[in-house]
Amino acid sequence: MIVKRVLIFAPIFLILVLLQSYFWVPTYKEQTRGDPARLTEFIAGSIGDASLLNPILSADSASSDINGFVFEGLIDRDKDLRFRGRVAKSWKIYEEAYFYVNPSARIPGLGKADARTLASFMKHAQKTSSVANPDLVHTLNRITDISVVLPRTYTVTNSIKDSAGNQQKTIRFKVTAPARIKLVLNQVDQHLFQNLLHLLGNDYFKSFRGKDYLKSDARLSTEQWTRYAKELIPPFEQNPVLLFHIRPGVKFQDGHAVNADDVRFTYEAIMDPKNLSPRVSDYEPVKTVQVVDPLTVKIIYKRLYSPAMGTWSIGILPKHLLDSQALKQEALRLGKDPKTFSIRQSTFNRHPVGCGPFKFQTWKSDQYIILDRFDDYWEGAPNYHRYVYRIIPDILTQEMEFYAGTLDSYDVQPHQVKRLENDPRFQHFSGLSFGYTYIGYNMRRKPFNDLRVRRALGMAIDVNKIIKYVLYGQGERITGPFAKQTDYYNHGIKPLPYDPEGALKLLESAGWKRNKAGRLEKNGKPFKFTLITNSGNDLRKAVLAIAQEAWKQIGIDVHTDVLEWSVFIQQRIFKDDFDAVVLGWQMGIEPDLYQIWYSSQTHPYQLNFVGFKNKEADDLIIKIRQEYNHEQQVKLCHKLHAIIAEQQPYTFLYVGKWTAVLDKRIVIKRVDASGAVRYEKITPTKTGNYTYYFNRWIKLPQVPHLTDKG
Amino acid sequence: MVSFIGRSVVQKTITLFFVSIVSFLIIHLAPGKPSQVNPLNPKFTPEIMERFRKEFHLDKPLYIQYIYYYRDLFTGKTVSWKDNQPVLKKIWDRFLNSLPLFVVGTLITWTLSFPVGIRSAIYRGGIYDRTATFLSYFLISIPGFFFAYILIISVVTHLHVPVIGMETFGIGNGSVFHVINDRIWHMLLPSVLGATAGIAVLSRYVRGQMLEVENQDYIRTAKAKGLPAAVILTVNFVSAILVLAGTFISDLLYLVADPRIRL
Amino acid sequence: MNPTEETTTTQMYTEPLLAPKRTRKQEFMHLLGQNWLAGLGLFIFILFFCCAVTGLLLTSGSKPIFDPAMIRLQEKLRPPLSKPHLELLNPEQIPPLNVYLMGTDDLGRDVFSRMLQGAWVSLTVGFVAVGISVFIGIFMGGIAGYFGQHYIKTVHILFFLCLIGGIGLIIINSIFAGTVLLLLSLSTLVFFFPSGHGSAEKEPPVLKSILMANAVSMDTLIMRIVDIMLCFPSFFLILTVVALLPASIYNIMIVIGLTSWMGTTRFVRAEFLSLREQDFVAAAKALGIGNFRIIFRHIMPNAIAPVLVSATIGIASAILTEAGLSFLGFGVPPPHATWGNILSDGKNFIFDAPWLTFIPGIAILIVVLSFNLFGEGLRDIFNPKLRERH
Repeated sequence: MIVKRVLIFAPIFLILVLLQSYFWVPTYKEQTRGDPARLTEFIAGSIGDASLLNPILSADSASSDINGFVFEGLIDRDKDLRFRGRVAKSWKIYEEAYFYVNPSARIPGLGKADARTLASFMKHAQKTSSVANPDLVHTLNRITDISVVLPRTYTVTNSIKDSAGNQQKTIRFKVTAPARIKLVLNQVDQHLFQNLLHLLGNDYFKSFRGKDYLKSDARLSTEQWTRYAKELIPPFEQNPVLLFHIRPGVKFQDGHAVNADDVRFTYEAIMDPKNLSPRVSDYEPVKTVQVVDPLTVKIIYKRLYSPAMGTWSIGILPKHLLDSQALKQEALRLGKDPKTFSIRQSTFNRHPVGCGPFKFQTWKSDQYIILDRFDDYWEGAPNYHRYVYRIIPDILTQEMEFYAGTLDSYDVQPHQVKRLENDPRFQHFSGLSFGYTYIGYNMRRKPFNDLRVRRALGMAIDVNKIIKYVLYGQGERITGPFAKQTDYYNHGIKPLPYDPEGALKLLESAGWKRNKAGRLEKNGKPFKFTLITNSGNDLRKAVLAIAQEAWKQIGIDVHTDVLEWSVFIQQRIFKDDFDAVVLGWQMGIEPDLYQIWYSSQTHPYQLNFVGFKNKEADDLIIKIRQEYNHEQQVKLCHKLHAIIAEQQPYTFLYVGKWTAVLDKRIVIKRVDASGAVRYEKITPTKTGNYTYYFNRWIKLPQVPHLTDKG
Repeated sequence: MVSFIGRSVVQKTITLFFVSIVSFLIIHLAPGKPSQVNPLNPKFTPEIMERFRKEFHLDKPLYIQYIYYYRDLFTGKTVSWKDNQPVLKKIWDRFLNSLPLFVVGTLITWTLSFPVGIRSAIYRGGIYDRTATFLSYFLISIPGFFFAYILIISVVTHLHVPVIGMETFGIGNGSVFHVINDRIWHMLLPSVLGATAGIAVLSRYVRGQMLEVENQDYIRTAKAKGLPAAVILTVNFVSAILVLAGTFISDLLYLVADPRIRL
Repeated sequence: MNPTEETTTTQMYTEPLLAPKRTRKQEFMHLLGQNWLAGLGLFIFILFFCCAVTGLLLTSGSKPIFDPAMIRLQEKLRPPLSKPHLELLNPEQIPPLNVYLMGTDDLGRDVFSRMLQGAWVSLTVGFVAVGISVFIGIFMGGIAGYFGQHYIKTVHILFFLCLIGGIGLIIINSIFAGTVLLLLSLSTLVFFFPSGHGSAEKEPPVLKSILMANAVSMDTLIMRIVDIMLCFPSFFLILTVVALLPASIYNIMIVIGLTSWMGTTRFVRAEFLSLREQDFVAAAKALGIGNFRIIFRHIMPNAIAPVLVSATIGIASAILTEAGLSFLGFGVPPPHATWGNILSDGKNFIFDAPWLTFIPGIAILIVVLSFNLFGEGLRDIFNPKLRERH
């Protein structure tokens, strides 16, 4: 009978043991109310775990969230999206430009001239007001210094790849470079040399024969000669310079002071091929990074590249922990080969040290990352003692944890907003996100090569209804490729109207007519195509279904497909094998549209996969890239926006709104000069950034009386 | 005996070899190329992607990749694409998390399904048997993802205690007893969910096995000799458990490795 | 129904040891009636079948009566049995029954129409997938069970390896190596045919004796293949293949079928192994009946019962697998509805619109349960050993 007893009692015992554990688990109430330390920590929820806590290596959003707290860049953006000094106290942007003296060219009013005469001629032109051309006056006024660089002779070895891309061949060149004129400008001027032509004569640069100054044993075709001449002694060169003055007294979290060497080291680490940094393309235009003194760093660029400034918001790495010596020691300690050991392998990526407001504490994979505040932070330590990043991979669970009070913030889904807005316990913020959703058409294919068809397809979709019902009002219409909250966005452009009748008329003018069954056809061929999107995004899937239905209404036969992400990208988008696609872009603040809209980027595996080619747009994209003046840039962007909106390569749908919900007890604490404490309600900045004053946030036991800023 | 073991080892090795090839091919065929690069981010130029591919030998032919893979595997140099952590360590960490879940799940399965199965066998065809049959098929038939959602939501909204994660967040400084019980609570839901299908299948199996054994001649003889029913039941039970234990080891591995129990 | 009463009546029938009074069919129906759970399963199954067929008729075509893809954004997330707001709808958008029987989803599509459309998907997925797996299972299991003792020679293995390798290489564009392998495989064909008279006297050359050696028995080979297939978590396998192939309902059916034949193979093999040794097979052989006739006329009818049982239960698990795939977002492309993707679309709205989770969830549960119960009942009915004990 023992068997019988065991059989009956074992399960009962097990069940009891398991169930009694319930009484030991702290309920949500106990967790949030009973624990005073809970007020001093901020707990954020995230869907995914971080991968590498190193700003130069990481590319995922979870890692950059954490890196933003642990690391600090030279600059960042303030509440109006202008640059603001962080590790850098101040900075200066100016330009150094060079051009080779062309002895054969005739300068109007001077004739052939050598370097010295040319320099004094230019200085003279600067002083006298005899110059007629206003553009030239403008340019000359910007020049602060003109000097002569003496001729020099040197050799260059160039290694080239043959057409197969493998065999390396080296060519030695002997360069006898002639004298150069060096110009220093107090601000960057992309039209410098164009305007100087008014002074030096139209052919001055064109007639410069760089080939004459090159000598080589290798046999080269004329074409190759011209190419190398252009590369090795270009007639002129513009080098924008960024000069950063580093704030004294900024410290890494291990106590080391931050200095110019760390900045240079960060740049070198990015460019080191061993590290495989995904950010190389941002820093490729940098020529050199020079340490002028421990608190001054000078960054010289190879060419005009206006997005350059923004790239220096990258977190500064501590040199003393990651330079070759430190890495070698670490490699030996871990028993790895020091030759192949790079920053990528270093344990630093799981125990980062930066100079940001929070210092790394622990990381339990797929569970949480804990940061403690950094007491020596240069701007004063944050009010929260602790920042916790919890990884909760399910949206619904996040919501439940938030309600229970064990999360302070999470990604609120559009359909949850209404519920949370009405809850008196919470305050909520919302703002436009940096990204938009669109339907892109493959312009290489018929009938999408016809502007009328693209417009008609756009007019058949009721975007306002999508925003109202699918996004629950959490979105706005968008008409072009720039972030809507930046100055670059052209608010003068009207969105396409919802007008199915008009769409039908447009289609009719393009030759598409309705047949007896109500289907559109042209020369007996029905209007038929496939609309695709990726799986895993419910909003895009909804847009897909709505667009299909809307187009069906005007007689177009649309087939839809939802594909797994990598198949979608690799097999369809990057092979240009699609008719139309529902997709979204995440944008930065910089208005650089080169990769997405420039006509040279239309090949497979490039991002202009819709095949948009427009001469005027190309010209503007390049100009925007080279323009350092904000007002000028805005003007150019508005023009570009108008062109793209006119051409409708995409049906621009909407830009989503994010919503953040916080406990009402979280407020901003301000201490004025007299030491009096004041609490303010958290208000988002003009661009919608509500975490802008995060370091001043505090959670109080009760909702306080708030002094409104008025 | 020796020749049997030897042959079986050879056969298993060959099978394993083919498994390794097929699994390598499946991973390779599966969409999504291993790298940290998001191709739709304008910051990633094709050149960078090319460099990543080179670094991870993705530009080499397949069989070379296969050889690299096994060289790395046996020299212990496998490293995750995502965060440069050693893969074996990552797997081991997660295995340690799965193990208690699995142990508790198996315990629940085994302790519950035997009484249920045996009782069903004894009262075959009765109300109890029919109810048990119905319930176990109910548990097999309920879609796991649906059931889990309902369970989680009802526990959180009605009992107001957390159910996700391995422990209540921030419990760190409680007493040992507290912490252990907290762990047990967090293990309860997933292991019960993992065990539901197991209970259903195993109790059916026990029932069938009992009936099978009952028909054997030696049991009939025992009955004829007038052995007490309890002894017969015990013999019956032991033989059933022996048969089932044979499948235990393979079940164990299967349950740990099968992602469906985590679905 | 009172089970005890039923039992006594059966005993009355089975007691006299006479020839069976009822035909097989009658016996079957009788036993089914007795096992009311199985009867219930069959009943639900028939009901489900009718729903699926009417669903197919009502929801397909260019102007279906119930349009599962009709989007009415202004009518989103209406609860079940609610009346449509007629003033907000165009005439063609008004639902046919003038009521949302099962509510609407997040795009205002009628859940009832979507469930009807999904029923057909579930039904076909179950049957086609299981059809494929049973076919492969019987074929492989039959070979392993009946011809299991036949040995495969090294040369055969070589031939197939070269053939497959060659074709594979040609597919991935290395034509030269592929062709070489193909030629090699052709050259091994020489050894397939016994070289005839001369070989008996001479000592066979070493190479030939290796090539002609018995490498592995048919049975071992097939069972090892089964082992290999069982090594992979089938759900992962299905996910991979589904992600690779264009999303379509047929691909999903085929993939589920191709990854679930192992159980049937084992069953059939075991059944064949024991039946092959039975007297009636020996008698058939003695009469000189061909192998295929023996397999299909004599063994198969006796082996079909467990296959049927496992097929019924297999349908249930195929339906579950499809729902799981759709739930993970790898199912049938929109706007086509399946129960799994209704559930998966609805899970985000579980607090606002619980019916979007519960209706498909419970529907899947009921259908899968009915198949399982019916399968279990079949098992009892087909098991003569258990039957006679009543």
